[in-house]
Amino acid sequence: MLRSSLIKVLNGAKVSPKHVCVTFRAASDVAKKPEKIEVFIDDQPVLVDPGTTVLQAAAQVGVEIPRFCYHERLAVAGNCRMCLVEVEKSPKPVAACAMPVMKGWRIKTNSDMTKKAREGVMEFLLVNHPLDCPICDQGGECDLQDQSMAFGSDRSRFTDIQFSGKRAVEDKDLGPLIKTVMTRCIHCTRCIRFASEVAGIDDLGTTGRGSDMQIGTYVEKFFMSELSGNVIDLCPVGALTSKPYSFTARPWEIRKIDSIDVFDAVGSNIVVSTRTNEVLRILPRVNEEINEEWLADKSRFAYDGLKRQRLITPMLRDNKNELTPVDWEAVLLTVCKVLQQAGPNVAAIAGGMADAETLVAVKDLLNRLGSELTCTEHVFPMDGSGTDLRSSYLLNNKISGAEEADAILLIGTNPRFEAPLLNSRLRKTYLHNEAQIAVIGPKVDLTYEYEHLGNNATAICNVLNDNCPFSSTLKNAKKPLIIVGADLLKRADGAAILSLVQSIAAQTCNKVEGWKVLNILHKVASQVAALDIGYTPGVSKIREAKPKALILIGADEGAINKEDLPEDCFIIYQGHHGDLGACMADAVLPGAAYTEKQATYVNTEGRAQQTLVAVSPPGLAKEDWKIIRALSEIVGHKLPYDNLNEIRDRLDEVAPHLTRYGEVEGANYFKQAAQLLQEDEEKTLDDSPIDLKIKELQDYFMTDSISRASPTMAKCVQAVLKQKESKY
Amino acid sequence: MSGTLMKFSNLVKSNYNGIYASIASNGQICFYSTTPPGTPPAQTKTKFGPLADEDRIFTNLYGKHDWRLKGALKRGDWYKTKEILLKGSDWIINEVKTSGLRGRGGAGFPSGMKWSFMNKPGDGRPKYLVVNADEGEPGTCKDREIMRHDPHKLVEGCLIAGRAMGAKAAYIYIRGEFYNEASNMQVAIAEAYQAGLLGKDACGSGYDFDVFMHRGAGAYICGEETALIESIEGKQGKPRLKPPFPADVGVFGCPTTVTNVETVAVAPTICRRGGVWFASFGRTRNSGTKLFNISGHVNTPCTVEEEMSIPLKQLIEIHAGGVIGGWDNLLAVIPGGSSTPLIPKNVCEDVLMDFDGLVAAQTSLGTAAVIVMNKQTDIVKAIARLIMFYKHESCGQCTPCREGINWMNKIMYRFVDGNAKPAEIDMIWELSKQIEGHTICALGDGAAWPVQGLIRHFRPELERRMQEFQKQQCAASN
Amino acid sequence: MSASTIRVGVKQVKPILSVDTEEAKKRVLNLYKAWHRQLPYIVKKYDIPKSVEQLRLKLREEFMKHKDVKDIRVIDMLVIKGQMELKETVNIWKQKGHIMTYFQDTVEHKPTDFLSQFLS
Repeated sequence: MLRSSLIKVLNGAKVSPKHVCVTFRAASDVAKKPEKIEVFIDDQPVLVDPGTTVLQAAAQVGVEIPRFCYHERLAVAGNCRMCLVEVEKSPKPVAACAMPVMKGWRIKTNSDMTKKAREGVMEFLLVNHPLDCPICDQGGECDLQDQSMAFGSDRSRFTDIQFSGKRAVEDKDLGPLIKTVMTRCIHCTRCIRFASEVAGIDDLGTTGRGSDMQIGTYVEKFFMSELSGNVIDLCPVGALTSKPYSFTARPWEIRKIDSIDVFDAVGSNIVVSTRTNEVLRILPRVNEEINEEWLADKSRFAYDGLKRQRLITPMLRDNKNELTPVDWEAVLLTVCKVLQQAGPNVAAIAGGMADAETLVAVKDLLNRLGSELTCTEHVFPMDGSGTDLRSSYLLNNKISGAEEADAILLIGTNPRFEAPLLNSRLRKTYLHNEAQIAVIGPKVDLTYEYEHLGNNATAICNVLNDNCPFSSTLKNAKKPLIIVGADLLKRADGAAILSLVQSIAAQTCNKVEGWKVLNILHKVASQVAALDIGYTPGVSKIREAKPKALILIGADEGAINKEDLPEDCFIIYQGHHGDLGACMADAVLPGAAYTEKQATYVNTEGRAQQTLVAVSPPGLAKEDWKIIRALSEIVGHKLPYDNLNEIRDRLDEVAPHLTRYGEVEGANYFKQAAQLLQEDEEKTLDDSPIDLKIKELQDYFMTDSISRASPTMAKCVQAVLKQKESKY
Repeated sequence: MSGTLMKFSNLVKSNYNGIYASIASNGQICFYSTTPPGTPPAQTKTKFGPLADEDRIFTNLYGKHDWRLKGALKRGDWYKTKEILLKGSDWIINEVKTSGLRGRGGAGFPSGMKWSFMNKPGDGRPKYLVVNADEGEPGTCKDREIMRHDPHKLVEGCLIAGRAMGAKAAYIYIRGEFYNEASNMQVAIAEAYQAGLLGKDACGSGYDFDVFMHRGAGAYICGEETALIESIEGKQGKPRLKPPFPADVGVFGCPTTVTNVETVAVAPTICRRGGVWFASFGRTRNSGTKLFNISGHVNTPCTVEEEMSIPLKQLIEIHAGGVIGGWDNLLAVIPGGSSTPLIPKNVCEDVLMDFDGLVAAQTSLGTAAVIVMNKQTDIVKAIARLIMFYKHESCGQCTPCREGINWMNKIMYRFVDGNAKPAEIDMIWELSKQIEGHTICALGDGAAWPVQGLIRHFRPELERRMQEFQKQQCAASN
Repeated sequence: MSASTIRVGVKQVKPILSVDTEEAKKRVLNLYKAWHRQLPYIVKKYDIPKSVEQLRLKLREEFMKHKDVKDIRVIDMLVIKGQMELKETVNIWKQKGHIMTYFQDTVEHKPTDFLSQFLS
């Protein structure tokens, strides 16, 4: 908390008392915008807001000042001293990352003094940095390498190497994800600041002083967090590197493909690094609207699950009741026969990683066969307007919008593990916006403080009926935010709860234009697209209909099992992993995982994004929508699209926003949705405690078919359990 | 140093017009305004020291009398404190300005001006006075004498300085090793509370003021003002970035002034006897009396209160019984605690012990801890040992200090044996320049200066050792 | 604005060789005749399993592929290419296989319909 107020003051800090008075006045009178001040960067004039640091001002005119410790998303530490620049009339060079500019300053980023200072700092950094670049995983993408080339001296004068060696530091064990070589550390403290500010875990810190200073966990402890992998990206040297990726590849050998993450409903932007048709690692890609530049650990490290438990060939259940590999023609013909016999008695269930193209193809096919039974694995209440109004099932206020909120109510959700990057935003809001946060649901550790209002539907009623102090906070807030978890709406009384929440939202509405109070947080990547296309949430309808054939599109969560279906029901599983769905299937159609196809996903905000082909599908596996298309031709209801553009045209027909990539299609029928839900007959509330599937860190790592197949994720679970047993 | 000077003149300029420069009697160029209140009168004396007994502020420096409240009252402490408080903060600040008092902690920033930064309309946050009693500089032992033998001077000083800047409370951050000092201080504070001199309605002036004591854990860096603030807050003692300065964001995020013990402790006497009295000692801009600590190769090492601008030679001869082996046996003097560059004998002959005099001799007054070294000293080893101290005490936060001092330490110990090439002397000079001014706090500067002083004055000695070592190596290999 | 449009409109295209259709036609005929005369030698020299008649038919077929080309510049370019081809053939810069590609494609064409693509 103090850090944040420090930053605030830092932004408006001035040296002389006269200036301080000005700042105070400006702070009291918010409406008056402070005047811009002019400074000169290498004689280039630039107008900046008061409180801008030298480094930011220089960035505005395109001058990049070298830095190690400074990171725009973390607090300023100012300890690497690499960003020292000369300011005219100042006897000492100033640290550009921390020093606010003052009127008329002439900053010289390329003068002799600046160059000398950089060279000196560089020399000092290299004094105790090992010369192990050839065996360092950071080699080729190392800030220290690059900057020593650009700003360092061209020769060494470290004569002491002949008398005494360099410093050596014992490596730390931070868990199964982060490999440490602490001798390489340059003590920039980015990792510490990330852990305490963004991840909310104060496990990392420094011990010792002077040249004995070490970065580490104070006691023998793993650094286990759902965001821990980001310190690997933050580390400017090779002190913290990725353990699964270690000694795998050099950055210049790999091909980088921009893609989208599908492990949660956030839709983080990623870069998939591949070589020789193999995914080597996954890194985040900057997208201010969604993931900033962070990535959750499951999204980052579960990629090794893509190489295990894969379905690489079509399979049919033989008379010994075993799945045997067959070729595509055989499986398609068998499935075709089944479908033709079943006629309209066919159903489909979409799993959490199904893409929009496949969803629309399956729906088209089933419609042509005369069936309307296209369902999603995950439930959403269908009472009232149900899924007809998009506003009832989207995270309407957008992920970045969470940062502006001043009162937040989380109902039946654990954003920390259901959407780690949304949770990091909420934490940011808590820290910098001093937002009041309350939770209804199980008591879980969210990395920030919150008021726990209860664990059942009564607590929601209390908020509605002003029976608890938080309801006034919420109603008086300028920008209130209510986030409802998808898990909660799964319950039998989901509709009643949604109706309650809508009433609370209606009480708070209409204070700031465009601000949307009610938000639904989904857990899986496919859900919003499926609802947009017209899938029915939940499988209850299928249970009732007793279909003769059932198509599972990567549905592995066990929403339906054999006992729910008639004995003669033929189950067709289409997906990429041999998981629950494939076990119960009579025919297996191997599909492509998200790194192997160009496919559309819509995240929980309603933002359509597409993955790109990074590697080709293994074995005989094919892109999912193509399988359906081929099947349709054999069945005799040929779908009218042969290539990606044509099926995208079809998507465009169904819902135009599905092909407007990168943009959020907003929804705004809150009043109508609330009305429709209220008009329905009285609903009964069930007062049993709200339960969540993912409560603690060990539940987070293995939640879907890919992460369940990932050895790294298994190791993480082990590590967390081991950590629990340790005395720290 | 030039930075503070510039800032000083700028501020005066912004407040008053009609400035003209005049040359004072001692040849120093000074800035005057026509009639600014709170300007110390120009000094007319040309000879400084020794200090008369009636002009001593610390009358129980050697602990010969009672240090408790009773004894303190007898010596004149807490006399008319209420009246001083009732005169208001402007009066106190003006008096301190008139006295020309400069910070006694080493940097020598004008105290009156520093205190006046705090005395501006607040924004609701409380203000704090923090007293820096983390006296860790090797050679320095003045604050501990005050706290052990005259603690009430400091407690009263806290109250008056706190009133001057409108502070709510004072924190005395005392060094962990100072056990007796801390216990005496605590007793003194308790006595003051019991006598109604502190706490609610302090001294009956209607002003509420608290004094807390915080014991450090013995890190030299915690004597740096922002590191000290971090330490009070319970964090690792690592200096903060400036800006924001403590006057904006200090302890617990509130405006804070950090001052040295001696600066605070002399404030009551200045207020009682008047700023003009205090300004009558020492040269212009260097006024007042000062505690000098004389240690090293002298016959009677001591801490003594003397007039500023007293010649160094006179100081050593009068109070310390002269250099062991006579003045001619003197090799060098470190005039202001371990972080100031040493000066060789020829400079010591006529240098005056004040801020400007020592700056002219390319060193600094620092804490006025005079370390005398005679010719039996291994000067290189002495400086190497100091660097080892700084290496040990570096907080490790910023690069030049963490890596640079460690490196300098390695080289210095090779210099002790002469196991180096003459070119490395220039290299270590450059290294010290790469550290100086490039760090967050002044510890890096303090570590660089002794090396620079050594090279400046004793380069032939270094080269001689290297030649000798070379000869030995050759002889050994043959 | 309009002036510049007109200028563009009336701008004469630079002919490659022929100035009018007549001349172009003449060049085509000349090329045809040259090829025609060389065909017996080609059969002999390259020792290909084709008769002169078959080659004549192929020659005609190749020329007739471009019967609808009207642009003089394109005709000229085709003639130039034909001349190059002729020179390469006559000078035995080619090999037997190159000649035979006129009669059969060496590359098998892939199926274009979706299902065959899917199953292949």
